[in-house]
Amino acid sequence: MLSAINLHKTYRKHAVQVPVLRGLDLHVDPGEFLSIVGQSGSGKSTLLHLLGTLDRPDQGEIHLDLARIDNLPAGARDRLRNATFGYIFQFYHLLPELSTLENVLIPQMIGHSILGWMVKARGLRRRAEELLERVGLKHRIKHKPRELSGGEMQRAAIARALVNHPRILLADEPTGNLDEDTGREIVGLLHSLNRSEGLTIIMVTHNRDLAMETDRIVRLTAGRVEDPPELAPTPSISPACT
Amino acid sequence: MYKLLLCWRYLRTRYLALVCIVSVMLGVATLIVVNSVMGGFSTKLKERLHGLLSDVVIEAADYQGFGDAAGKLAHIRRDPMLSEKIEAMTPTLEIFAMLQYRYNDVPMTRPVRLIGIDPVGRSQVGGFSEFLVHSENRAHPARAFDLDPEGQRRYEFNHRGQSLLFREPPPVLAPGEKPPPDPPPSEIHVPHGAIIGYAIAHYRKRNVHPEDPEKDLTMLRPGEDIILTTVSGQKLAPVFDRFVVTDYIKTEMSEYDSNYVYVPLEHLQKLRAMENRVTSIQIKLKDYQDAPQVVARLKEIFASDYYEVQTWEEKQGPLLAAIRVEKGILNILLFMIIAVAGFGILAIFSMIVVEKTRDIGILKALGASNGGIMKIFLGYGLLLGVVGALIGTGLGLVITENINEIEHLLAKLTGQDIFPRDVYYFDRIPTDVQPMNVLLINLGAVAIAVVFSVLPALRAALLHPVRALRYE
Repeated sequence: MLSAINLHKTYRKHAVQVPVLRGLDLHVDPGEFLSIVGQSGSGKSTLLHLLGTLDRPDQGEIHLDLARIDNLPAGARDRLRNATFGYIFQFYHLLPELSTLENVLIPQMIGHSILGWMVKARGLRRRAEELLERVGLKHRIKHKPRELSGGEMQRAAIARALVNHPRILLADEPTGNLDEDTGREIVGLLHSLNRSEGLTIIMVTHNRDLAMETDRIVRLTAGRVEDPPELAPTPSISPACT
Repeated sequence: MYKLLLCWRYLRTRYLALVCIVSVMLGVATLIVVNSVMGGFSTKLKERLHGLLSDVVIEAADYQGFGDAAGKLAHIRRDPMLSEKIEAMTPTLEIFAMLQYRYNDVPMTRPVRLIGIDPVGRSQVGGFSEFLVHSENRAHPARAFDLDPEGQRRYEFNHRGQSLLFREPPPVLAPGEKPPPDPPPSEIHVPHGAIIGYAIAHYRKRNVHPEDPEKDLTMLRPGEDIILTTVSGQKLAPVFDRFVVTDYIKTEMSEYDSNYVYVPLEHLQKLRAMENRVTSIQIKLKDYQDAPQVVARLKEIFASDYYEVQTWEEKQGPLLAAIRVEKGILNILLFMIIAVAGFGILAIFSMIVVEKTRDIGILKALGASNGGIMKIFLGYGLLLGVVGALIGTGLGLVITENINEIEHLLAKLTGQDIFPRDVYYFDRIPTDVQPMNVLLINLGAVAIAVVFSVLPALRAALLHPVRALRYE
C-alpha cells in the first residue's frame, strides 16, 4: 500500500550537513498497525514526515498504491494530507483559539470551499460529534484545549485525524507526553480503530511495551531499517528499543 | 471556511491586534475630520467668493468702460442660443473712490471700490439683495437706496440742527403789527443713497477675555452722510458728491465687506460724465453647467481685446486653485499617518506570525495550502482594516458633527482660542461631509492595511511545515 524506496534525507545546519535517512526501504500493508522505534535522531519523525508528504526526500521515492506521491505538485500533496493521511502528534497540536469541536472540524473545513461547507455543514458536524463521542469527549465539545487534560487533548487530536476518513494514520509519539495508563488507553483506542475499521496506522514510539502490542515493529538505526521489514516482530527486539 | 473562522478568532483573541485597529481608526477619523472641515471651509469660501460675482461677467479692459450698454444687452438678448440660457443681465459701473465721513467729529478717509448698479437688475442677477442687512431691502431691493423711517429721522435730526443754527432771529414786532407769514417749509434735501460694506461701517472690538462675546462698534449708521470722491472724464478730473448711507452689505467675505460701496448707476454715470457707459455686464445663467458654451458665444460677440468674458470661477481662479492645492497636500500628509499605521500593522503581524508558527505548521499538516495560509493573514489584515475604518468613520463623523462643542471645550481647558472667529468672520467652524470622500478614505485605509499585511502573510505561507511544527 505505502512504500518507501531508498529514501535519503539530509538536514543542513549552517555549513554542517546532518544525514538523517540513508537509503531507507519500507513497505506498509493495508490495515497494518506498524510501530517505528529507534534512538533519538535515528530519523523516525523524519520518516513519518516524508511518508505523510509534509517534507520531500532528497533522494528516493514514496509510493501510495503503486503511484509515486513524493514528487506530486503542492496542491495534490495538500489534498493527500487532508484526506488520505491523518496526523497525531506528541504535543497534540490543537489550535488554542478553537473549541474541541472546531478543532475536529478544521480538516473538513480545509477540504471544502465556503459554499461546499455551507451545503454539507450539518452532516460534517454530525460526523465530528460522532467521532468525539467515540473517543469519549462528547461532554467536552465546547471546551478550549487549555481546559482539557493531556489524554483528552490527544483523544481530540485523534478525532481530528479521523474526521476526513483517512486511510493511513501517522502517529508521532502519541503517548510521549502522557502517563502510562493514559498512554495505554490511547494505544487501545488506536487498536480498536485498526481492528474495527481496518485503518492503517504507522506509530513512532519510544515505549517498547506499546510497540510490542502492534502488528510489526520497525527499528531504525543510522537512517536505515535495521531488521528486514518482512520479518514479524519477535519479543527479542523489544529490549533494544529502549 | 477555516480561513474565515481563524481570522475571526484571531481578531477576537489577539489583543495586540487592537493596536492595529486603533491606529487605523485614528488615521481614518483624523482624515474624515480634516477633510470635512477643509471641505466646509472650501464650500463656505466658494459660496462667498461667488457671493457678489454673477455666473458670467463681461468686463471692459479699463475704467472708461464701454458705451451703449442698453444696445449690447439687446444684442445679447437677440441671440437665440444666449437668450435661451441666460436668466438675467445687468450693467454695472465700477471705479475706485475715496470715502470720507466723520466719526466722533473726527474726519475719516479710506479708499473703496465704488459700484454703480440698478438695484432691481442687480438683485435679479443674484448675489446682492440677499446680503443686504435690512430685511425690508432684501424683500424690496428697488427701495434699497431710499432711507427707512429711522434713517430719515436720523438724517433730519443731523441736518435740522444746522438749519436752526442759520435761522434768522424772529423780527421785533411793533404793537399791532401782524407777524410776517411763516416762510414756506423748507424741505431738507436728501442726497442719493449708498449701500456700504458692513466692515467699512463697523469696527470689531477685540476681546479682552476669550469668553466675552464679540462686539461690533458701528461707525456709520443709516441716515448719516458720506462724501465719495472719484474721477471723471479722460483727464481724470476729481469729482465728488454727498451720499447718505441707506444700508449695509454683509457677505462675510472681508474683501468685499471692507471695500465695496454701491450707489445708483445713473447717478454715478452722471457724476463721472459717462452717460450710458458701463464697465461690466453681469449675467446669471439658468444652469451654470452651460457656462462654457455661453462664455464661448459671448467671446465671439465681444471679440475685441477690449472685452474680457469670464465665469466667476475663472475670475477667482488662483484662490480656488490655492484651496484645492492646500486640500491635496493635507490629504497626502494625512495619508502618511495611515501609512505609519500600516508599518504598525506590519510589525504586529510579523509578531503574530512568529507566535502562530506552530499553528501554521499544524494547518499545513492537516492539508491547508500555502495560499490558504496566506489568505488567513491577508483576511486578518482586511478585517482589521475594515473594523478600524468603520469605527474610525463613526468617530470621525461624531467629532465632525460636534466640532464646535469640542473646540469650545478645548478652548476652555487650554485657555487658548483655537478657532478665532474674527479671522474668518465665521460664527461656527464650517463642516461639509462628502460621502464620496469618506468612502475613498475608507477604501484607502483598508487597502493600506491589506498591503502591509502582505509581507507577514507571505512569510507565514512560505514557512516549512516541519520546521513550523518543531518551532518552540
